[in-house]
Formats: sequence, C-alpha cells, structure tokens
Amino acid sequence: MTKGTVLDLVGTLFRLGLAGVWLVSGWLKASDPNQTYIAVQAYDVLPGGLVSVTAAAMPFLELALGVLLVVGLGTRLTALLSVVVLLAFIAAVAQSWARGLSIDCGCFGGGGPVAEGDTRYPEEIARDIGFLVLAVWLAVRPRTRLALDGRFTRTAGAA
Amino acid sequence: MGGAERSARKRRQNQTTGTVKTSPAAKSSPVAAARKSGGNRNPMIVGALVVVIIAAAVIGGVIYTNSKKSATEGAAIAVKSVDLSLPVTREGAVVVVGKSSAKATIDVYEDFLCPACRAFEDSYSGQIESKLNDGTLKVRYHMLNMLNDRSDPAGYSTDSANAALLAADEGKFLAFHKSLFGSQPEEGARGWTKDQLIDLGRSLGLTSQTFADGVRSGTYDKQISDAFQQVRGTDYLQQEYNGQKAFGTPTLAANNKIIDTSDPNWLTALTG
Repeated sequence: MTKGTVLDLVGTLFRLGLAGVWLVSGWLKASDPNQTYIAVQAYDVLPGGLVSVTAAAMPFLELALGVLLVVGLGTRLTALLSVVVLLAFIAAVAQSWARGLSIDCGCFGGGGPVAEGDTRYPEEIARDIGFLVLAVWLAVRPRTRLALDGRFTRTAGAA
Repeated sequence: MGGAERSARKRRQNQTTGTVKTSPAAKSSPVAAARKSGGNRNPMIVGALVVVIIAAAVIGGVIYTNSKKSATEGAAIAVKSVDLSLPVTREGAVVVVGKSSAKATIDVYEDFLCPACRAFEDSYSGQIESKLNDGTLKVRYHMLNMLNDRSDPAGYSTDSANAALLAADEGKFLAFHKSLFGSQPEEGARGWTKDQLIDLGRSLGLTSQTFADGVRSGTYDKQISDAFQQVRGTDYLQQEYNGQKAFGTPTLAANNKIIDTSDPNWLTALTG
C-alpha cells in the first residue's frame, strides 16, 4: 500500500464517521423539534424570532451534511461547511460556559437548562473538537474511496 | 506526466500548422475542450448541487417543523365548565377560591405551560373541587410565568396567567383554569394566542370589553412577573431537584411549608 492509499482510507473512515455524527445528531434534533427549540433558546444568544428559525433549520442542515458526506458528494465544500457549523457550536457552548449559564448543549437531542452541577462544558467542547479534526482533514484532503466525487474527478483527473 | 507530454506535443503540432490557426484548432478539438474545461466545470456543478441540496433540506425542514409545531393554530381551546358556586377573589396576582370558613388553606403555584402542573391537575383537581365544594378547603392559586420563554413564540405563560386573573375578576377562574390545563400546548411549540384566550373567555360567558382589552394589553403581566420573582426567592418554597434546591412548578404549600404530594392522602391529611 502506498502512502496515498493509506491516506485515502483514513479519509474515507473520517468521511463516514463525520457523516454518522451529522445524521445521528440531525435525526435526534429533527424528531423532537419542541425540545430543539428549548435547547436553542437556552443558549440565550439569538433574539426571539431567530431562535425559532434556527431551531427548525439546524437539524435539517445537519442531515443534509450527513447525506452529502455518506455519498461523498462535494466532500471539500461539505467538510468546509461542517467546520463552520462545528466552530459555531463550539463558540455557542463556550459562551454559555463563560457566562455561567447552566445548560445542556443539546448536541445530540435533549438540551435546555440543567441544574448548576450538571453542566458538561469541557466534555462537550472536547467532543466537538474531535469532530472538527475529521472535518478539517476532509477539507484539506477531500480524496476518499467510495465517493461520488471520484466519478466527477476521474474525467478531470485525466487532463 | 502524460498530460504534460501531450500538451507539449499539441503545442508542437500547433506550431507546425501555422500561427493563424492556432487557437481555433485548439478549441475545435473535442478532446482538448473536455480536458480544458472538465477540471473547471465539474467542481462548479458539484458545488451548485451541494448548495441546492442543503438549501432544499433546510427550507423543507423549516416548513415541516413549523407545521408540526403549530398544532394550536386554527384550533380552539376546548371549553371545560366547573359547576361550583364559590367565592372567587383576586388578591394581586393570587386567586383565592373557597369559603372563608374553610378549615384548611393551600397555596398552589402553577404555570399553564408546565406539564407536571397538568399532571397534578389531572390527578387532584377532582378531589380539590369536592373539598372546595363542601367548604373544608380554600385554595390560593398563584399562576406564574416561569416558563415564559418555552413557547414559540415566547409569552404564553404570561398571557395565559394574565387571562386567568382577568377571568377571576369576573368569577370564571375555575372553568378558565380547567380549560387551559385540559388543552395545554406543548413546551417548545406554539401556545394559544391572545385571541384564542379571548375566544375561550367568550365561550365561558366572559363577553365584557374589559376582559378582551385586558388580555390584549396584559393588565396583570407586571404583577405576575413580580409575583414570580418573589416566589422564586422565598426560602420555604425551594425543593430538592437532583440534589440542589430550587423553585419549580407545581409547588403546594400550607402554613408556610411545602406539602409532599407524593403521599396520596396529602389532601385528607390537611382537611381531616
């Protein structure tokens, strides 16, 4: 196996892993929109009208990113968008921590206010940074196996 | 490697065919055209496809979610009547129901959006009504707006509590209270609007302009918020939640002490 093959396989694992993260988190949020609204509200960042739209849109953005990563279509762009979304999530959790709010991030469903001793900000941020590593890898090196991108790049690659 | 060789050969070929024809010859060759634009066009198509897929998912998702969360839109609050003729008075943000000669008085702290309050009402409103009716019990209802941010749009807790206080002014508190808990909106979803609250009032005979105007303008909003702040800071009303003391709804108290409603006989223990 050449170095390129190994990197391709690592990228493929990362792509499918990140896809799984988005699909699971998106599905859990989309299936309980009331709870997702409460979770977004709890961050206490957005004005009233935007909370509703954000809470309704976010699960489906995550699902779309997940589907695109599963099939491997536009991997670099999808990975870049994932980086942006994950950075926004990390910023949202960090500001809650910094301001001393007591909330659950609602990253995988749930969310909303919790008792003061029940916050898990360091774990939540560490987890998101882990996902961020996968997304950054794919943004820098989007070449993977079993991807639709391969069909598009093969013609271009011959040039 | 191969590409570079080929393009080098192409350049040489072009040179041999003469300078005038160079560019048309390069363009007319289908292979060269595919090679030239293929690398540029495909990422554009893929990028556009990604954007379209994401936009479609998000727009469709928002529409779907909003329809799912708007169960109360276009519906009406089911009317539940209470056939008791009892004295009902309002003292600030507190509604006092029952005969003054009653042996026991309880304070009930509720929010119309709180599911646990609804569960409490489902379990005990029958018993409470019969004790109210036989004159052994007096209830002080504190309708709070603790969950005001938990409806979408926010505000249902305050609007409903305000409407219930206005209903109390005209003697219809119990039926209004029962109807609202009977048709409780979900947390995080659309609540009942002011107009829907006014419609419920009208169905219960609250046809005065004072009631409708009061619901719209929020006559008692401030008193309700102040009452909640006061209650939240009251020591004896704090309960243990996951090992920490906090105020929550529903809370029941008598004689400045919390009533433990996990004992199913709590009410008879009070009224004898």
